[in-house]
Order: sequence, then C-alpha cells, then structure tokens
Amino acid sequence: MADIRMRVNGSIEKLDVEPRVSLLDALREHLGLTGTKKGCDQGACGACTVLADGERIVSCLALAVQYADRDITTIEGVTSPLQRSFVRHDGFQCGYCTSGQICSAVGMLTEHAAGAPSAVTGDLATMEIELTAEEIRERMSGNLCRCGAYNGIVAAIEEGIR
Amino acid sequence: MKDFAYVSAPDVATAVRAITEPGAKFLGGGTNLVDLMRQNVERPDTVVDITRLPLDRVEELPDGRIRIGAMMRNSALAAHRLIRTRYPMLAQALLAGASGQLRNMATVGGNVLQRTRCPYFVDLAARCNKREPGSGCDAIGGFNRNAAIFGASESCVATHPSDMCVALAALDATIELESVRGVRRLPLVGFHALPGDAPQHETAIAADELITAIELPDLPVAARSRYRKVRDRASYAFALVSVAAALEVRDGVVTEARLALGGVASRPWRAHAAERALMGAPATEESFRRAADAELAGAVAQSQNAFKIELARRAVTATLRQLHLPGGAA
Amino acid sequence: MSIATGQVQGVGQSLLRPDGTLKVTGEFAYSSDLWLDGMLWGATLRSPHPSAWIRSIDVGPALAMPGVFAVLTHQDVPGVKFYGLEHKDQPVLAIDQVRYQGEPVALVAADHPETARRAADAIVVGYELREAVTDPRQAAFDPACPQVNPHGNVVRHQPVRVGDRFTADVVVTAEYEVGMQDQAFLGPESGLAVPAEDGGVDLYVATQWLHVDQDQVAPCLGLPKEKVRLTLAGVGGAFGAREDLSMQIHASMLALRTGKPIKIVYGREESFFGHVHRHPAWMRYEHGATADGMLVYVRAEIVLDGGAYTSSSPAVVGNAASLGVGPYEVDNVWIDAYGTYTNNPPCGAMRGFGAVQACFAYESQMDRLAEACGLSPVEIRIRNAVSQGSRLATGQVVDTPAPLAGMLRELAAMPLPGPGSTDLRALPGGVAQTTHGEGVRRGIGYGVGIKNICFSEGFDDYSTARVRVELLGGEPHVLVHTAAAEVGQGLIMVKSQIARTELGIDRVTIVPADTTVGSAGSSSASRQSYVTGGAVKAACEAVRERLDKLRAGGASLAEVLAAGPVEETREYRHRPTFPMDPVTGQGDSHTQLALCVHRAVVDVDVELGLVKVVELAAVQDVGRIMNPLALEGQIHGGTAQGLGLALMEEIQVRDGKVLNPSFTDYLIPTILDMPPMRLSILENPDPHAPYGLRGAGEPPTLSSTPAIAAAVRNATGLALARVPIRPDDIALAGSALAG
Repeated sequence: MADIRMRVNGSIEKLDVEPRVSLLDALREHLGLTGTKKGCDQGACGACTVLADGERIVSCLALAVQYADRDITTIEGVTSPLQRSFVRHDGFQCGYCTSGQICSAVGMLTEHAAGAPSAVTGDLATMEIELTAEEIRERMSGNLCRCGAYNGIVAAIEEGIR
Repeated sequence: MKDFAYVSAPDVATAVRAITEPGAKFLGGGTNLVDLMRQNVERPDTVVDITRLPLDRVEELPDGRIRIGAMMRNSALAAHRLIRTRYPMLAQALLAGASGQLRNMATVGGNVLQRTRCPYFVDLAARCNKREPGSGCDAIGGFNRNAAIFGASESCVATHPSDMCVALAALDATIELESVRGVRRLPLVGFHALPGDAPQHETAIAADELITAIELPDLPVAARSRYRKVRDRASYAFALVSVAAALEVRDGVVTEARLALGGVASRPWRAHAAERALMGAPATEESFRRAADAELAGAVAQSQNAFKIELARRAVTATLRQLHLPGGAA
Repeated sequence: MSIATGQVQGVGQSLLRPDGTLKVTGEFAYSSDLWLDGMLWGATLRSPHPSAWIRSIDVGPALAMPGVFAVLTHQDVPGVKFYGLEHKDQPVLAIDQVRYQGEPVALVAADHPETARRAADAIVVGYELREAVTDPRQAAFDPACPQVNPHGNVVRHQPVRVGDRFTADVVVTAEYEVGMQDQAFLGPESGLAVPAEDGGVDLYVATQWLHVDQDQVAPCLGLPKEKVRLTLAGVGGAFGAREDLSMQIHASMLALRTGKPIKIVYGREESFFGHVHRHPAWMRYEHGATADGMLVYVRAEIVLDGGAYTSSSPAVVGNAASLGVGPYEVDNVWIDAYGTYTNNPPCGAMRGFGAVQACFAYESQMDRLAEACGLSPVEIRIRNAVSQGSRLATGQVVDTPAPLAGMLRELAAMPLPGPGSTDLRALPGGVAQTTHGEGVRRGIGYGVGIKNICFSEGFDDYSTARVRVELLGGEPHVLVHTAAAEVGQGLIMVKSQIARTELGIDRVTIVPADTTVGSAGSSSASRQSYVTGGAVKAACEAVRERLDKLRAGGASLAEVLAAGPVEETREYRHRPTFPMDPVTGQGDSHTQLALCVHRAVVDVDVELGLVKVVELAAVQDVGRIMNPLALEGQIHGGTAQGLGLALMEEIQVRDGKVLNPSFTDYLIPTILDMPPMRLSILENPDPHAPYGLRGAGEPPTLSSTPAIAAAVRNATGLALARVPIRPDDIALAGSALAG
C-alpha cells in the first residue's frame, strides 16, 4: 500500500492505494467520484478522460501513485459553459461518454490556445491555428460516442468557443 | 494485475540503480505498459516510475543537432517549434498516433520501446514466441492482416506499431542509453531487432539501461518532409502502412532522399534500397515507382496481408510524388 | 433548431433532456456506479473454447482463496437451468458442454473485483475439445455437419412465395456479405443484486426490458416473479445488446447464496463475449426487371449466422424474409431466409434487426439493376417505389402514407456539398496522409430502407403507464410511471411532453422505471414512443376524463386535487399483427412500416483506399415529430452506426474464436469519421399510431450503409459486395494481389 496525496477538484485528498490501482479506480472506488467512466480500461475510448494539471489524460492507463501530488480535475470539478452547450445541442444521448467528452474538450481548448497543432493542421509552422470543425473533430477523435451524437458535440464546442 | 512494488525515481542515477533489481521495469506514461500489465502480458515485480526525471526538454545543440529528452511527452514534442519547422515529418508522425489524451501521457522513450499490437501477443490462450519463447506463433496462418512484410521469421511476424519511430528512422536519429555502467549511443536504425528465432529480444537495449535522450542530426532535407499513414479509420488507429519521407530535388534530379516505412516489420523500416534507387534519378513518377519497387522486391506476405505490399508500394510512390509537388512538403 | 423555453413544453417541441444536467456534471448514476456498503464483487469464468465437453470442474482452488465468499457452477442454479428470449435454450452456467467461446461456466463472489477475477482464473475446468461448427451454410445445409443444439442447426427457415414468373429481360445476380457487427455501447454490462428479507432479490440493472428480464430471472432462481424486483439503473447505451440477459441471473444467484449485495461489472473484453451481436449474413440475390427497369421478380437466399443459441434469431429471420425485397413493388418473390446454429458467438438483436443485412443486399441490387437498365439509381427506385396501397411480398397492404418516390425526389434535389475540395484537410486521410487530390474521386450513392416498427408476427406487444395528478406544494403535479427503459433515446422527454400536452400541466416528474408497474415492453424495434407513448397518452386521457367529471361543477383543478390525487393506469396495444405463413410467408406480420432514404457523398483516395464521407443527407418520414432535437439525434446516431458497418466495423471470428475483442482492434467511427448531415423530416401521420408518429431510431441504420457502399462504388467502379469495405478492398481490387 502506498499513502499518497493528490489535489482532486481543488481539495487535498489522502489515498491509501496499492500501486496497481489506476487513477480511474482510485477516483471511482476510493473517492466515490463516479462521474469518470470506465469504457474500455485500455485507453481506446476516452470515457475516463480527466485533467492532470490541466492536461487531458486517460485515467485508466494512469497508476494513481504516479499522480501523487498532482492536481486532478474530474467532471465533478469542471464548471464550463461547454456543459450547458452539450445539453443545448444534444451532444449526447446515453451520456456515458459525456464526462470524458467534456473534460477532453476543456483540455483540447487549452492545447489549441497554446498553439498546439493537430494531424489536420495544414501549416505546422503557424501558432495561430483556426479551430475549424475539422480541427475540432480531429482533436476530439480520442473520445468515442456510440450514440453518434458527434455533430451535436461539434456544435456544442463551436458554441463554447464563441 | 499482479502485485508489484512502486518506486518513483527523482533523478537518473536513482533510476538506473533501481532498475538493477531483478524483475524491475521502467514505467513512463504507462499507455502501453499499464495495459499489458493489466492483461498479464507484462508482470514486473517492481515498477520504477521515471516520469519525474528531468528529461523533458528539447535543446538545440551548438552543432545544430537537436536533443530530445526521453521523458518529453509526445504531444509536447509534436508542438515544439523546432520540430514543426525543421522536422515536420516527425511532428506529423507523432500527431498521427493514438489520441490527444494518450499523446499527453506517452513519453518519447516509451514510444520507442512500445510492444507489438499483434492480437496473439496479448491473448494468453494463444501461442506467441514473443510472449512465451518456444510456444509457437498463432499469427502464422492465423489472423495476420496486419503482420509484417519485411524481416519476418518462422518464429514471429509481428510489427512495431510506432509512428514516431518511422520518422526517427528516416531522420537517422540516435538513441542515448544510460546505466550504472555508463552512457552509450546507438543509431535508431537497427535499434529494433528482426525476430529471427528469438522474437522476445526486441531491441538493443540492455535490461539495466534507460533511454535518456533522442538526438536528431542537423538535416536540412528534413524541412521538406512528410509522414503519411494508411489506416482503417480516419484517426485513433494503428497504421496498416505508413511512410516517412524527405526529398531534395535540384534541376529535376533527386539529390537527397530519406525514406522509412511503418507497419511493415518488427522495426521501423528504413528503405535503403529505395533511397539508393532515388539518388541521382529524375524526380518523376516513374522513378518514384521504381524506388518503391526496389524496396518492396524483398517483401514477403503472410496468408492475409499480401495487400500491404501493394499498399506500401503505392504509399511510397504517392508520398514522394506529393513531396515533389510545389508546396507539397508540410 | 429552435428550442422552446418558458412555456408548456409539449409534443413537437425540443424539450431538453431532464437528465442532461446530471449527465454533463457526472452525477447521473449508471449501473456501473452503484455502490452499497458491504457489497461483494462477482466475476464470471468463461469458456476459452468454442466447442468442448466439460469433464470436470474443480472450484477448490478458488474457494480456498482469502476474500472469496462463493463459487458457483450449474449445480448451484436454484431453479430452471436454462433461459432465453424466444427459446429457453441457453444454460445459466454451462452444464456438460460449451457451445461458444465466452460461454459462462462458473461464478465467484469476493470482497474485491481483483480477488474475484483471480479466483475465477483459479477454477480448473477439464475440457474435452469438440470440432467447432463455424460455417453457417454448412451447418444449415450439410446433413453430415455435427449438430450444435439437439434440435438441428436451423433456427428458422422462413420462405416467402409470391407469383410464378421468374424470368425477365434484365437479370442481375450477386452474392453479398455483411460482417458481424457489435453494438459496442460505451457502458459495459453491469448491475447490483441485493438479497431481500423475503428471500427474494432486488436487482438494479441496465437493460432494455425490465419485465422480460424478470420473466427469465425468476424461474432460474426458483422464485415467484414478485420476489424478483427490478429497477432500471442508468444505461450506457443499448442498441439491442441489452435485450438478452447478461449478469442478471448470475448476480442474483451470488446474492442469494452469500446474503450480500453483489455487483458485477463486465470489462470491455468480457462485454464482447457477454452480449449477442448483429448476425453476419451471406446473401444471394437475383433481380429480374423489364428493360425499362420495372421489377418483375426477386429471388433471394439469406443465411444469418445465429451462433450457439437462439436469442432472437427467429424474429431476425422473420424480418429479413418479410422485408427482404425492400420497399419496392414486385409481383413475384421467392425468398428463403435461414437462421443457423453454429459454434460462433451468439447473435441476436442489434438496431435494424435483420432488416439491415437484407437492405445492404437489395439496395446493392437496385444499383446493379439501374446500371443494367441505363437508369439513374434514383430513377429506378422511384419507378418501383411502394406507396400507400401497395402490396408487400408478404401480402400485407401498406395502409398508411408511404411517400417513397417523393422522398427520393426530395433527397435528390437537396444541394450537394461543394465540388472536390482543394483543402487538404478535407480530403481522405487528412492533410498528413492525402494526395493533392489527383487520386481522389468523388462518389455519390443512394440507399433506401424499410423497417418494421414495434414487435411483429402476432406478438402481444403492449406497454403500461400509470399517471397520477396530485398537489405538491399547492401546485398540480403529474407523476408518470412506466417500466420503459430510457437508454439514451430520450423517451423520458417524450413521456413528459405527452403528459404536458394531454393534461396541460407543466410540472411533470418521470418516476424511475421498475417492475412495480406493468410491462412496457422492450426499448427496441423503435417502439417506445409509439407503445409507451400510447400508454402514457391513454392514461393521461383517463385522468383528464376523471378530472373533467370532478370539475363539472366548476371547481378548480387545485380544489379537486385537494381531496386527493387522481391516478389511472392504462395498457396500450398497437394493432394486432399476424404470423407469417410458414410455407408462403404471407400474412400481415407488421403493424407499422417506416421509411428512410440516404444520400452519401464520399471522397475516395483510390490509390490508398481511403474513404472520407463528405456528407450524409437523409429524408425520413416520422409521421409526427415529437421532439425535433432528440429526433435529429436518433437519425444521426442510426446513421453513424450504419457508417461503421459500411466502412470499418467487424468482429473477426476465426475457428469460432473472436480475435478483436477490444476497442483497439474493433473500430467504431470517431467524430472525425462522421460527416455533417443534411436532414429533411416529413410528417405524414399514421392514423393508427398515437399522434400519428412513426418509430424513428432504426430506419436510418438501414439505409446509410448501402448509400455509403454505393457512393464508394460510384467513386471507384468496384463491385464491393461485402461490408465493411476497408482500404485493401479499394486499393487492391483489380490488382493481382487482391483477395
């Protein structure tokens, strides 16, 4: 067992976890923060996306002990206009992927603001990349939505950045 | 997942000492290792977390070379100005891999050492010489649509899944390794092994060595380069075939060419034969095709992946053609 | 899309999801989020073999592990040892043999999920391997083939026979295949079983149909139905995969044995083995037509691989047969649809349910016929389109609006997206992968689908609603209680919109779905707005009638309600349907038919085989729009799943074993694969349905697949008779290395 501390959604949490416990399971089962979802447990769906020091990661492939003393934000700690936009544009149906979609979108917008390129960025040299629908799609492609609410998600994010 | 001890290394000296314990394994971003541990394919006794090592910078050395810290995250490297402008194929290769979240976690060193995505490697009920030496290979004659077309053996037909390494191979990158025994440098080309009769030996790294850095040569031709990936969906999928290429043409004649293929072998496949065929040749479709033919003459298909030979031929030709067009480089 | 706010949000308005805020804040409780202090975790040991005798099971090593509370095998099943939707042929736990890879063999309860998993792995099962039957056509037609189940290898053979003229001037013949698709909902199977003081069990589970679960669980537990109470937990998508049982009986058995609450959550890999899939299909079609493209006859042989157990295969076969020619008028039809048993993974319900597979084949045939007759794909479809009054191959007359020709004309008239883009980012494979457009060809394709809404073939299909009006805080308030499963489709909005419209009261609460109210039937077959919507409407009308009587003397609603609440429960049934004749397939087997038409525009890099779907346009007749925003979501979602089937999704099965049970290897469309959509929604009411509505969730899943396949054919000139179409099918077709 390892005793670690972690700032989760603004408050310091003490965790007593075995090294094999993922950040996802630590959040869900030790801290009762079940808003973060387990879809595949191998980094292939994005449902477990959280923010670590503001960067989006998949919490299923993160060992909790690795994130000791880091600042973790889960959907329970997100307050973003994107949330309202997701509801308004029906950017989900069953909602299982939604926590991850929203955390991912928050992290994605930070990356974009910092000038990070994507696989569809035409001019890699520029730091001012227009966030077109195609850019949003590529950058959000690590979050699967089986209900197919993708166009609603694009609309929600487009509204969120206006 | 098996129980294991966890050690977080604050510096390289601690890390390389900790790894000398039997059954110890370095843990980077975890995007591959944690998954394999959960599937009981990897079963370390001790995990040495190296993500806090101060190896997360890109430096331009006085001689023009670029030194990339091994703990640099894939996303940070792809976003770095020097990489975007001087080595666009590397930025593109990184951005073509995995997802935004995974790129924020995955380290450069871990990317080099990632394991194959052959389905039998992670299926404990299947035979796999890589996972269990001597057990056999169920991919041969089995589900091998995405198996190797170069360098496979009767023991193993698995491919290396990295996109980044394909660009690094084309760029003649160097890997810096450190252990309690000292520091050494190896070229990336040749770092990954062909399976032969011992597919469990995947790279030239020793059990006690840590990748500390990747170095890129000062390579002007790399500014005219491109990475191109063919896959089953538009994003977030491994390559069927990929191509990293850089091309310099003067007066209609190829004066320099760098070419490597991904998804085709247990290593990023540096296409030396194609490069030789291109040098001094007119920059024409015919030359590009001939170069691709020269490389693929040595390709051998498994039962389900003959298509990859033709696909690789076309991907090479198309990438060179694209690079040669005005504005065709990234 | 306008959103009504601040007024009574009734039928026809885009009421936002009442559970939406909970879902965007992470507070909505899915079945995998349930938690009780002192609960144990269940794990399932599954067969690694597709076909084997079980000679021994040694649970000793598992029982000896610290933290393990129970290890159960078939001997511990308290009641009936078999369950199933249509035939009770699936063992709760394997008895003396396993018939598919992943079949449950034993159960463990432990104090930690990891302990439960390790204990399950410690159980020693002695298997004696048998030859696996994996070729569905061999299973069905080769008398020498071993029998997978005692009652033969054919689940159902449904012929359709009409007319006797099977010659024509123009004949096109081809074979088609559809790969095995997975529903791939994001929230894997999970639930919580809590032992009750009365010896029963309370089960909280993500399912599509609480009462059919109850009907199957109770006998296996040896309990009367009233002692097995189910409550719907949050559902992370369904798409048919939650119609069959998964962990329900298992968790209940462990709860009853240990006396403790049991939680079972499948991982993604287990989920691939824990539910049925869409039947893979082999189909041979022959279409005969006059030189001017009028259909003379259709012959078809359709073989659907049902895998090891029955599940809903009989109904899937019925759909493939009855809808096997599509929405076209044709006087001579000879169809044989078969469902088979094999040792492949069991297949059953998935969105589109037997109509999807046939639609890919008959639409591909219509394109071939168009080419043979020198007509456009749109024109040949218009010439043969059904309309109100048409007689289907089953003899059933289409007695409601079916304006297919008009829908096709409207679709064809929709503006096309701009010509081949010169923006690299918009080309197949994206900027880093694409050519400069020189190898990129634009293709356009059309697809038409017809889907039965609600359960067919004589099934007693109904729903129940309890509606109560009472005063809460001095204000009239409506409670709507049904057992209908909200699986993301938005039924809770439709129910509350109906209550608002019928009662004129805008404070409506939807009571959580459970088995304390009568059955609502399944959240499948696009039926809930129709049937549960109908039940809510009927119950509201009954309440309104009583309120009207009570207020006859001029009392206000509040005054009337001050004396006590008014509550009514109603069952609602759609028009009866009838079985198909087992020899001729004739019969009014469906109650409602819904049409959707798609146009796909694709760019194909023919050199590398990369496809980018540029735009999907659709026209669908929904009878009456209940909620525009949610309806649009259903059409997008169905379309996306059809896109997945067209271009990437397939469970790879070899020798009965699944080779890609993960989201790394089973690819579903990402947001980058899904294009913008252009929609036109028609409202030609069905007078038999509440508000004239038509079920809407499935039809788009049918027509998008053939439309995309047709567009890729149009771009490449290739025949492409199998979906999914992958890069190698395009880039290598015609080369010496193809195949």
